Parts: sequence; structure tokens; C-alpha cells
Amino acid sequence: MNLKRIVALAWKEWREIVRDRLFFALAFIVPTMLMLIFGFGLTLDVENLPFAVVDHDRTPASRDYAYRFISSRYFDFKGYADDERTIDRLLADNQVRVALVIPPRFDERLSRGEPAPVQVIIDGTFPMRAQTTQGYVAAINAAVSAENMAQALSTARGVPLAEARARVQPVKLEVRYLYNQSIKSIWSMAPKLIMLIMMLSPPFLTALGVVREKESGSIFNIYSSTVSPGEFLLGKLAPYVLISAANWFILWMLCLSVYQVPFKGDPLFFTLASLIYVVCTTGFGLVISMLVQTQVAAMIITSVVTIIPAVLYSGLLLPLSSLSPGASLIAHSLPPMYYGRIVTDCFLKGAGAAELWPDALVLAGYAVGLFAIGYLLFSKRPKS
Amino acid sequence: MTTETAIRVDGFTKRYGKRLAADGLTLEVKRGEIYGLVGADGAGKSSLMKAIAGVLSFDGGTVEVFGTRIDSARAAEQVKQRIGFLPQGLGLNLYPDLSIDENIDFFGRLRLVPADVLAERKRVLLGMTRLDAFRNRPMRQLSGGMKQKLGLVCTLIHEPDLVILDEPTTGVDPVSRRDFWAILGRLLEEKGVTALVSTAYLDEADRFHRVSLFHEGKVMGEGTPAELVAVVPGTLALFRAEPQADALPRLKARFPQTEAMGTWLRVFAEGLDATAARAEIDACLDQPAHPVGRTSVRHSLSDAPTCRTEVRPTEAPPIRLTDWFAREPELEDVFVAMLRQRGAKLESVFPEDGLTPHTSSAPAIEARELTRVFGDFRAADAVSFRVPQGEIFGLLGANGAGKTTVIKMLTGILKPSSGFGMVAGADMRTAGWAIKERIGYMSQAFSLYHDLSVVENIRLYAGIYGLDDKAARVRTDWVIGMAGLAGFENDAAGRLPMGLRQRLALGCALVHQPQVLFLDEPTSGVDPIGRRVFWDILFHLSRREGVAILVTTHYMGEAEHCDHLALMFAGKVVADASPEQMKQAVTAEAGQLLELRVDRPAPAQAALVAAGFASAVLHGRAVHLLSKTADADLARLPGVLDAAGVQLQSVQPRPLSMEDVFVHQVSALEAAQRGTP
Amino acid sequence: MKGFFSIAGLRRLRVMTWKELLQLLRDTALMVFFLYSFTGDIYVAASGVSMQLRNAALAVLDNDRSFASRELAGRFQPPYFKHAGEAASPDASLKLLDRGDAMAVLDIPPRFEERLTRGEQVPVQLQVDTTNSVLGFLASSYAAQIVGRYAGEVAMLREGLAGSGGPMIEAETRIWYNPNQYDPWFMGISELLTVVTLFSILLPAAAMVREKERGTIEQLMVTPLTPFQILFPKVIAMTLAIVAGTAIALFGVLGPVFDLPMRGSLPAFFLITALYVFTTAGLGLLAATVSRNLAQVGMLTIVILMPMLLLSGAWTPLEAMPPWMRLAAGFSPLHYYLDSAYGILLKGAGMDLLWDSVLAMGALGVTIFGVGMAWFNRQFG
Repeated sequence: MNLKRIVALAWKEWREIVRDRLFFALAFIVPTMLMLIFGFGLTLDVENLPFAVVDHDRTPASRDYAYRFISSRYFDFKGYADDERTIDRLLADNQVRVALVIPPRFDERLSRGEPAPVQVIIDGTFPMRAQTTQGYVAAINAAVSAENMAQALSTARGVPLAEARARVQPVKLEVRYLYNQSIKSIWSMAPKLIMLIMMLSPPFLTALGVVREKESGSIFNIYSSTVSPGEFLLGKLAPYVLISAANWFILWMLCLSVYQVPFKGDPLFFTLASLIYVVCTTGFGLVISMLVQTQVAAMIITSVVTIIPAVLYSGLLLPLSSLSPGASLIAHSLPPMYYGRIVTDCFLKGAGAAELWPDALVLAGYAVGLFAIGYLLFSKRPKS
Repeated sequence: MTTETAIRVDGFTKRYGKRLAADGLTLEVKRGEIYGLVGADGAGKSSLMKAIAGVLSFDGGTVEVFGTRIDSARAAEQVKQRIGFLPQGLGLNLYPDLSIDENIDFFGRLRLVPADVLAERKRVLLGMTRLDAFRNRPMRQLSGGMKQKLGLVCTLIHEPDLVILDEPTTGVDPVSRRDFWAILGRLLEEKGVTALVSTAYLDEADRFHRVSLFHEGKVMGEGTPAELVAVVPGTLALFRAEPQADALPRLKARFPQTEAMGTWLRVFAEGLDATAARAEIDACLDQPAHPVGRTSVRHSLSDAPTCRTEVRPTEAPPIRLTDWFAREPELEDVFVAMLRQRGAKLESVFPEDGLTPHTSSAPAIEARELTRVFGDFRAADAVSFRVPQGEIFGLLGANGAGKTTVIKMLTGILKPSSGFGMVAGADMRTAGWAIKERIGYMSQAFSLYHDLSVVENIRLYAGIYGLDDKAARVRTDWVIGMAGLAGFENDAAGRLPMGLRQRLALGCALVHQPQVLFLDEPTSGVDPIGRRVFWDILFHLSRREGVAILVTTHYMGEAEHCDHLALMFAGKVVADASPEQMKQAVTAEAGQLLELRVDRPAPAQAALVAAGFASAVLHGRAVHLLSKTADADLARLPGVLDAAGVQLQSVQPRPLSMEDVFVHQVSALEAAQRGTP
Repeated sequence: MKGFFSIAGLRRLRVMTWKELLQLLRDTALMVFFLYSFTGDIYVAASGVSMQLRNAALAVLDNDRSFASRELAGRFQPPYFKHAGEAASPDASLKLLDRGDAMAVLDIPPRFEERLTRGEQVPVQLQVDTTNSVLGFLASSYAAQIVGRYAGEVAMLREGLAGSGGPMIEAETRIWYNPNQYDPWFMGISELLTVVTLFSILLPAAAMVREKERGTIEQLMVTPLTPFQILFPKVIAMTLAIVAGTAIALFGVLGPVFDLPMRGSLPAFFLITALYVFTTAGLGLLAATVSRNLAQVGMLTIVILMPMLLLSGAWTPLEAMPPWMRLAAGFSPLHYYLDSAYGILLKGAGMDLLWDSVLAMGALGVTIFGVGMAWFNRQFG
């Protein structure tokens, strides 16, 4: 290892990156832009669900009942429909996602103290949305039922309404939300976006940077000199790691300032772990660049190999606990999941090295492993 | 192993997949030697050079550099500090966005040259290469010649003991090439560096101490340039014969290596000395016997056809032979003869297509005040010329003179800033897409689809030009016949040898029988036989089919074949005449060409320039100079050379070649430009 | 555009398309990758991942250790919950949450059973980790349902209401199009559309860059080919390839392995897929045309791809996005393709419902392609 050679390589690479103005600008703009777009736009919340009501009963009671849905912030009332046929069409055309059908004699049954059936139709194409919707519907219905029961009990037994309420609901669930008391979805999303974006951009920068030298032929300057593969990799990749680290820092600051996500953890540990992650994703780019010959191939393979795991197996959108054993294996064998945990817990749980050292260790293992593979694949005396 | 040997290669073999790139190559390079690998692209030169530089593993044989056997990456590392390697491709190993300074600094630091030493070396090298004025200019904005020199500086910055330069002069104009060789020669001599250099230009072989001739992965011959030329003895005859059209077929029947170059004929008389060659040629042309013809000695094979046996119509007009020059052949003549002995065919089989030739009294191509401005740079500046139907028109000029810009404007790829071009009677500014059906274009890069087969490429272009299926079949057969591609129909274009690839590209440009053909450096990197066949085809096209051809080239030998030439310099056309007229103009301006044979050409040239013979240039192992006052100069020359310690062996007048014309003109213009910046 | 309908014009389109297809097919490494993406990758996504909350780890801090407390805790069952053990103390439960070993802790107070039998209303506490707000919310909502049901039963017994019912809402929830909430249908289609989008942008961009780098684009510019005839065949060829890939995914993976219903008209689905690829391919060509080198193309495609993939509704419900974002999603062709693809495959929708999506997609496609061509003209004209 000769530091001078590494510096010479890194300096050359840096000058080249800086001279390609558009690329240099994009290298910084793209991560920030993605952070802003996704921060505002990417949300798994299920809200404003367009819904319609078919009220066959048309009584004040049925309207009151429907109003419970209409006034909920989860639903976006689109109007009353005449019959189920119309609902059919509205659902198929994505005009509504939920429909409430109140049959005739709804009011009558309730006043007689009998259970009143209603029908809820949910668009099931998107199971996660359907499941959440079901939860909302169940909660509203449970509340209405409890209220009705309490009133019935109060009238029948002559107890005060408050007592009746307690009696129909002998167990009360008090939920305490930890770490994100007001359940702000941006608080949980923004830190994970750091994970996502830092999975995408460093491999791209790196893979294209290395393959470009292969394609143009300037790699022969390296082959024919006494630079060792280790020196080459360090020098060549240092500027990319630096840019990515700077980007990581910008994203961190964006989380704190624009999205006001509280950072409760240990900044030092977080910085260290993040640097390891950046090195790790850079290593991804390195390995790809060693395996392909052309920039076109590097671009296509990098995008497919990074985008899909970062979206599917990182815990960004899909709950990790819901993965099948096979998919869970994939998730565990890729770095985003580990960093996803580090970044979330550092931000919201105030965790530090004590809790997260195993994840950081895995990432470090990755970084070392990827660079080892890159090192082994790099031959200064290739076959062609 | 003696310390005298720098490189020893024995039985070197390299395969890429199924393709055998180098087949049992053997050679030895001594220390301090400039050793040349001469041959076309794909002949195996690059593979060998990379293996020696330790950047390519190989399949068989041994390679030793400075006594170290290069058989593993570890072994290769041991000698890399002593090697400088410049890979093929003009400036491709440099960093286009970095300035000259930054490029050199990078190479220097990579090689751990201390900062002060680096600064000093950089100063010296930039001075020698005259790049010092452009230190801060990004590499991408340099001309081809400057890129090439920068590449050399970067390769030499750590003062290696051995430099390996892979085709440093390909794609560079003759003046820059001469400049490059002069600089390289001086540097190597000063430092006592061993050099292994490859080139596709056979006329550069004389720059080397020793040479290996490469062809299709094999060494065809090895030795000093003089030894190689002696392998196939013979005489090169230059003369005029009227009418040429009658003389040419007669001579070709006897001497396959006969070429017409404008009004001159160039004949390689294999196995004959000067007098025998004259006698044989006279006999072919039915000339009255030459006075000294009786003493001729014939070395040629006994079964060679002689002109005397040929039956000719008695009413054939008499042929007049004038301006006879006989000299020793050039390496290219010898190389072609060697390949011919191995069965290579020189002539194209030009299938008849039963077409009436394009005729038109209007010029096929006309450029009027064509101008293209990029920022504040005038790439083409009021360029005007016209090319009649059926003419081969050569556009010459140094790299960056604006040739490609002019072609791009004439073919409609680039819009002129002002002025306009007429092609096949249509104004390219306003002509619709239909006009393009009358144009054929072939670029330097032989723009074929490498992953498509030969037939697929032809069919593609046939379809692009709107030929129906039947016509496409007919033309596909024609192209395959014309380009000699029979047997290669289903091979991927990327796997063809360079010469075939080039003819396939030409075939694709001709598939729609264009009236006008544009060729941008169509022969770079192609072997001499391939080039000859190619020009043979061009000749047929222009004469038989009346196609107007506009061609650019860096091979001045090829420029001789053109009917008319335009010389460009800094975006302007500075001369526009036939090759003959150009030569006459130079003779009138600068005098007669004298060829000096000396024992040490390089110091001789330097001494001559110092003594006021500004036109003295190295030409092979001889020195060429232009002399207005031949008698007075002849008297002065021995003295000048004597003073420099050089022995003058002979002085002979020579006909001017296009290369002499080009070098003279461009050097004068460059000097004028430097004088008045 | 002139000459488009002439015989020569059509022949040009044909040979250029054939050329693109051949080049694509000959790129073995790319083809292997392509096939994997349309089969293996979709299989893994469809079989392995679910966006629903499953197996949320629940720890119990049982301060009562009675029959009733065990009964309540025992109701937290798969698929929604799985037991992550007992916590001995509040500190221990917090630690479980901190470490991520449990997602929620059910805290049952002392004397739970006793107070219940006495007719008191007993509070039970649930601490939920809401670092993932959506999962946290879902977990608490399931917990509320479970506890609610338990409470209801207890109340019925206690108040002697069992049997008679009462004025309750008995909701019959019907989930249409995917009644069993079978994830592979959704995940499989979403992944397929993602892969289609990736390749629709990348393949034409790559093909274009290759022509630029090899210099063949100049050769083409000298021929009578119009910019349209140069660009459009690339789109046709990539469209054919990707539609073929889609068919493989549909009939090779999603149909046989996951019994995807494919209720609507399949020809309509493939036509819409073709239209979508055309539209998206235009984006790729545009990126390749405006860039100077591949590094720039790469960055530009990320900028186009990522928002398109994540904000069009393939992975997230669009309804909750801010209005301006929903407006922006209206410019994403994927948004319309999603509606159409789910509409046809799962809902059995026909053209009478989908015409607006198809129209919007077509308009976008023509606009994008037009801009790309104008740019191309400016660059080479």
C-alpha cells in the first residue's frame, strides 16, 4: 500500500467527476430530489378511501350510521348509490374502494333490539389496503354496536348510560404508542428513505465509474503500472464513497430539518454505521463492475439488482415479519434490512451501539466481503 | 540469458474464444533497440504487446522481459516499473476531461515520480513535444497529433527502460506522424530506452532497427528493414505510359503488382533488376527494345507468364513510355509479394450488375462556401469545391483540418452555419429524405452491427434503402461477390478480419447503387492487400458505374489514386488540383526532389536543416529534400554532411510523391501559422 | 413522418425492427437476465412477500396470572400475532421493545380477573412500537378487535345477554376480486409491472446509447431513414420483447403456480401492455437522447424510474398522498397501466371502463415520443 498512489488515483477520479458538470450535479441532486419526492409522496397510510353508500332503509338511523363513515378521515365519501349494480361498476372502475350497503328495515331491527345486518364491500385487489380498511370498518361498527348496546342496557335496566357503557365493555384497551407517539408516518418513512437512497446511488456511481475505464481502455494505465489492486480500488472508490457520504449527511439533515424527525440516538455510532453502509453499497457497485464489460450492462444490472431488493426486502414497504422463510432469507442476505433497522432505531428509539452492534457488524462483514470479492475478481492480467 | 536481451518471446499463442489471435510467435528484442511490429489490425500485434507489458494472460509459449519470465501476475509486477505501455487507440487511455497538465501529473504520481523531478521532466517533455502552450487545455479538445504526443509523454514520464507503443500513429496525418517519430527517436536515443512499437503503416518500418512483419497471427518475416526488403528481390518502376488504359491491363497480366497513380504507373517487377525490368516492361508495352535491355537477368519463376506469349490485336495503338524511374522496392511491395506467394488475391472480382452508369453533366458534389462554426472555432471555413460524376475526389488534411466536418455537412448529418452543399443535384439544406437514397456513406468506424451476420447487415441496409425483397437478394449476392465474402455469409460482422469488415461496410454503403459515395478514412487499419483490393473496387465504381466518390485518407499512397485532390488546413481549402498539378506546383515553388542515401539518416537530416535545407525530411532510410538549384546544392551537400560526420552514399532525383507534397504544404502552412498566431 | 405509409417506409420499419430484435436476442447475458426477471424474480416476489401485517411479535406482561388473563393473552394468535414470550417486569418489556424483539407488549393489570367478575371496567394496556407507523397502527387495530370481542363475550355472559343478540351492527364484509386476500396475486402483478417498467425504460435507452457509442447512428442519419423510422423500431422491438416476457410471466408463473384468475380479456391486456411499454420506452429514449454519456443516462433513469415505481400506486395506496402528488401521479403512465392491469386481470373490467386510462396513456406516450423525436432532430438535424 502506497498512500501517494492512492491519493493520485483518487485525485484524478475526483477531477474527472467534477469536470462532468451534469453528472456531478446529478450525483448530488438525485438523492436529495428522491428524498423530497418520496418524503412527501411515499406513504403507506390508508386514508381518504373513496367510498359510496347504498341506503335501502333511508331512515334517520341509517343516515346516522352512514354518517359515522362519512365523517371519518379515513373515508372520502363519494355519494349515495342507488343499488348494488352501481357499486359493482364503481368498484370495477376504481371510483370507490369501499361500499356500505344498508339493507331495508335497518332502523326497525335496531329499535326492536335485534342485530341489524349491513354489508361492506371492499376492493380486494390491494390486500394491505383491504386489510386496513377492514380494520377501520370493524372499529366503527364496534363503536356503534357498543353505543347501541349501552343505550339498550341503560333503558332496559335503568342504569345510567355511563355505567351501562362500562358494563358492555368490561375490558378497555388502552394503547400507548411508543417511539412515535403521534404515529406520524413521515417519522417512520424518512429514516428508511436514507436506507433506500443510499442503496441506489452509490452502486450506480461506482459501477459506471469503473466500467467506463474498462470500456475506454484507460484501465490499461492501471494494469501496466505497479499500482496494486488494493491501491487501485481504494483510490478509485474513495471519491465515490466521499460523495455518497456527503449525500448521506445531506439526507440526514433533511430528515431533521424538513421532516422534523427526532434523532434520539448516538450520532457517533450512527455516523460510523452509516459510513459502513455506504462502503458496503459502494462495494456492490464494485462487484458488478468487475463482472460486466460494458456500461450498458452495468447500468441495467445495477438497477435491477439494487432497486428490487431495496424496495421489497428492506422493510421499507413490506413488514419483515410477514416474509415467507425464503423471502426472509433473501432479506437477511442483503444489507438494506440491517441498515434499515439501524437507521430507524437510531432516529426513533434512541438506540446506540449497545443494541445495534450486531447489525453494524453484519454490514461491516458485508463491506469486507464485497471488497474481498472485488479484489479477487480484479486481475491486472486478464484473459482479454 | 544475456543482459543484452530486453524481450524474448518464444512460441507465443493467444486465443479469444475460438479465434486464434497469435499463433506461435517468436522474436527477440535487444536492449536499446527500436523494434517494430508491422501489420494490419487483428494481425496479433496488440495481443503480443499486451502480454509483454504484463496486462494480458496468454495460452502458450513463453515471454521474458529483462530476464523475468512473465508467466503470472506476480512475475509481471516485477518488471512493470521498468515498462511504459501505450495501448492502442488515439488518446483512449487518457482522461478526456482532464487537462494536459493533470493527465501527466496523474501518470507521474501513479509511478511515484517525486514532485520536483516530475515538474522538471514535464517541462522538458512538453517543450520537446511543443505542447507547453496548451498545458491547461482539456485533453478532449486536442487534435489527434497532440493527443498522440501527450500519450507518449505520459508513457515516458517515469523514464522506463522499455516502452511499448501500440499503433501510436494510426489515425494521424503524415505530418504529425513524422513529428512523432522525430520526437520518439530523439527521446529514445537520449535515454537509451528500448522500444517495441507497432504500426499499420508499412512505410514506417524504416523507423525501426529491426522489424517483424505480422499477418493473421503469424510472423511473416523478421530482420532489419533492408533485410526484409531483400527477401523478395525486384525493382520498383515508376513511369508514364500513354494511353494508360491500354497499358494497364497488359502490365497487370505480367506484373500483378501494377498500379495506376494518376498519370503514373507503378510496377513492382519481382525478381528483376532495373535493366531487366525495363526490358520486360518495354516488351509488354510493345516498345522498341531498350538499348541496354539485352543484358537483362531474369530471376523470376520460369513459369511466370511473359508478355511475349500474349496475343494482342495488331491494330492496337502504340504505347508511349516516358519519365522512367527505377528504384528498390518499398517494404509494402515486398509484403504484398509475400502475401501473394501465399495465395492472396490482389484483384477484386467485380460482378457485373448490368446497370447503365450514372451520367450527368452537373457536378455530383458541390460545396459552396460551406462554413461550420462551433462556438468561436471555425471547423470549416468557406469550403468550396466540385466533384463531377465518375470522379474520385480526395480530401486531404491533418487531423482536425475539417475534413470530417465537411463530409458531415455534405451528407446532411450536420447543418452548415452558412454556405451550402449540392449533392446529386439537390441542395442538402432543403432536400428531403429521398435525396439520401442517392448517397452512400462509410465512416472510419465501419459502422456495421457487430452482432449481426454479414447477410443480416446487407439485408438491413437493403431494407433501409427501401429495396424490395427480390432486389435485396440480387444486391446481397452482388455485395458478397464484390467484397469477396463468399463463405462468410453467416459470420458475425464483428468477427471478420479488418479487410473483409471494411469491404462489407463498403458493400452496405453501395447496396442501393448510390450515385455519390462518401468515404471517411475507409482504409485505416487495413492490411495492404485489403487496401489495394478496396481501391480496385473504387476505381471500377467510378469508371464503370460513374459513381462520384469523395474520400479522405491518411495514406498518401492512396491519395495518388485520386483524380482530384483538395488539401484542407485549419478549416480552409488551401489547394485544389489534380495530384499531378499539385506536384508540379510544389516543384515550381520549391524545386526538384532529391533523395539522399546516407549511413545515418537522423543526424544527416538535422544537419541539413541546420544548413538551410529547410525541406529536408526523413523518408524511410533516406533523406528527401527539395532543391531549386540542383547543381549548386549537389555541390554543397557532401560538405554539409561531412561536417556532421555523415557519409553520403548517393544522391538521386526522384519524382515527387503525394506524401512529399503533403508534408511540404502542411509544414509550410504550420510554420506560417506559428509565425503569425 | 413522410413516407411512413409507403411500401418502402413500412419495409424500413420492418428491417429496423428485425435488427433491434436480433441484437437483443444475441445479447446472451442480457437475455438470461431478462428471462430471470420475468420468471424467477416474479416467483420469489409473489410467493415470498406480503404487505399485510403477519406474525407481529407480542410479549405479555401478565401481572394477574389468572385464568382470565391467560384467556385474553391466548387470543392473540397467528396470523396477526405471534407470542414473543413473557415479560417479567415493565423494565423488561421496555427492553424487549427497545431491542425490537417484540413489537407490542400486552400489559394485564393485577387483579384483572377479580375486578372483571366484580363488574368493573378493567383497563388493559398495549404498548406498541410505532417506529413503523403503519404496522403500529395495524397492530393496535387488531388488538382492539381482539380485546373488543373478548369484552363483548364477557359482557354477554355477565349481563345475561347471550343468545338474544341486541341492537348490534352485524357487518358482513365482502372482499371482492380477491376474497381470500391472497397476497401472491397482488405481489405478483405489482412485481410484474415493476419489471416491465424497468425494462421498458432501460432497454431502449441502452439500445440508443449503444448506437451513439458505436457511431452507427451517424450511418443511419445518412440513410433515408427519418428520425421516426430510427426511433420507432426500437420501441416496437422492445415492446415485442417485453410483451413476450409478460406472457411468459403470466402463463408460466402467475397462472399455473398462483392461479391468478385473469378474468378480463387477455388480448386487451396485452394490447394495453404494448401501449404502456411504448409510452415508457419513449421516456428511456428521451433520457438517452439528452445525455452525453452513460453515467448521465444512469442517473437520469433513476430519477425517472424510482418516483414512477413508488408513487404510481404499485406499492402504496395513492389515496393518502397529498393532492399535488396525486396530480403528479396523473403524469405517470404506470398509474394508468396499474388500473388497467388490475382491472382486467382481477376485476374482469372491459374497455367500457378502461377507455379513459388507455386514452390517457396513449396521449402521454405520443407526447413523450414526440418530445424525444424533437430532441433527436435538434441533436442530429
